[in-house]
Amino acid sequence: MNSLSRRMYSGISWIVLALMAIYFLFPIYMAIINSFKTQSEIYRSVLSWPASISFENYGNAFKQANMLKSGLNTIVVTATGIFGIVICSSLAGYKLSRTRSRLSNWLFMLFVASMLIPFQTIMVTLTKMARDLGLQGSPFGLGVVCAGLGVNMAIFLYHGFVKGIPRELDESAQIDGCGEWKAFFLIIFPLLGPITFTIIVLNLLWLWNDFLLPVLLLNDYRQYTLVLTINMFFGKYSRDWPLILSSLVLSSLPIVVIFAFFQRWIIQGITDGAVKG
Amino acid sequence: MRSRGNRAAFSLILFVLPAFLLYLLFLVIPMFQGSYYSFTDWNGLNKTYDFVGFGNFVEALRDDRNFRSSIWFTAKFVVCAVVLQNVVALLLALLIESRKKAKGLFRTIFFMPNMLSVIISTFMWVFVFSKVIPALAENGALKFLNLSWLGDPSVSFWTILIVSVWGGVGTLLLIYMAAIQGIPQHLKEAAIIDGAQPHHMFRYITLPLIAHALTICIFLTLNSSFKVYDLVYALTNGGPGRGTQVITMNILEEAYQGNNRYGYASSKAIILFLIILVITMIQVTIMKKREVEA
Repeated sequence: MNSLSRRMYSGISWIVLALMAIYFLFPIYMAIINSFKTQSEIYRSVLSWPASISFENYGNAFKQANMLKSGLNTIVVTATGIFGIVICSSLAGYKLSRTRSRLSNWLFMLFVASMLIPFQTIMVTLTKMARDLGLQGSPFGLGVVCAGLGVNMAIFLYHGFVKGIPRELDESAQIDGCGEWKAFFLIIFPLLGPITFTIIVLNLLWLWNDFLLPVLLLNDYRQYTLVLTINMFFGKYSRDWPLILSSLVLSSLPIVVIFAFFQRWIIQGITDGAVKG
Repeated sequence: MRSRGNRAAFSLILFVLPAFLLYLLFLVIPMFQGSYYSFTDWNGLNKTYDFVGFGNFVEALRDDRNFRSSIWFTAKFVVCAVVLQNVVALLLALLIESRKKAKGLFRTIFFMPNMLSVIISTFMWVFVFSKVIPALAENGALKFLNLSWLGDPSVSFWTILIVSVWGGVGTLLLIYMAAIQGIPQHLKEAAIIDGAQPHHMFRYITLPLIAHALTICIFLTLNSSFKVYDLVYALTNGGPGRGTQVITMNILEEAYQGNNRYGYASSKAIILFLIILVITMIQVTIMKKREVEA
């Protein structure tokens, strides 16, 4: 390739990337600049930079959407779900990977096969099950149900990762007098760190942002997660854009801050999770 | 020897038990219950119900016009979404990987939507389509933007696609970028020495060597677009009328909103499961055969 066509190629690629970047940033940029405006300012000039930066809309949104309470609910759901998934799946994934028996293979196949079941197929009966068990109507209960839905994928990821940890470690721990469980928590679990991090990231994104399952399991606005609160808010104040937009930006902040801090690991984790999953 | 085998089995069961219980309660039992109810006319409340055999399935596929049109709408969406999301993600991955600078910046920008809740980010798009684009369309040169983006089903179809590409490209981009980075350097160099043009490179080097990533990404997009709900709910809520209703919405409507036909909704859910299962199985089998090793 001569240098002229190489420069042209590079120029075209730059233009395409820039246009796509505008497409991707546009709604976020529009939501942010308009979240600082008053209603009449939005109607007058939606495209321009806000006349003055005031956080009044944010204060209103925070109060009226009950952000604090729904933020706490979201943390309860996410923490319960992730804790359940990590503990249960690391135990199961480790043991299933180490044991060579027909029972072990069969159990593992059972977990993996269930990854094909779409949530939408079981949602109706799952809601009934949660109601029967008294798990409907509380963020904690929702977290437990989510743990049940998330274990299969996590077991699959742990199962693969454990293969890379030498068996001698288990054996030497047992020779040193550790019980099986103690050996797992003291020696094996810390070594599972990288895959545990991947699993936490994948489930954090799912649980924090989930919509349909919380809609079906939480029936009172006091139990609502952030996404549900925003959804209710949107229905209630659908013309009050300053309030809506600032609540949208505000509720996205926590996850964006987490992303900004852990970006490299999160991207690595998602790539690993997707390629192995 | 025998007792050691038993002990191993016992300890296996203890380790697996917590996960297995959760899995049984929230996945296996609901799946079996759903399959069971799909053959009944249960309404979700009564103690009694009757078996109707395959009646629900026949009704859904033969007589239920709303369900059939939701399948048709979803199918059109799946085809367009799978193609567009993968083409855009692959194109972006190739462009980003061919650059020396700003790789991380572009990756962050295109991945950003994946961090946000679909509901929340789609509400941002609702603002764009109902306030910002009409304002842009007042400008003479951009008059063609003056469309009923959310109110006319034939336009809303494209609106849904625009937002779905925006939200769906991120993960695919990461997978394609990882795959492109995995192509051995010596193959690229050999091709360049042999005088390969960029499109030759793509056709004969890149594409065959990222075939496994294509399999994964098409599998992921098939799955996610058949199951699409949040996005359509937040953008049009299936409307106007049922003009943009997807399968999952139709199932929920049947089970909860007014109808309360639990058994019937379950059979529709099983139909959705079978559709996804058969199509992804065919896709993975065909595409696996075409993969090559570097």
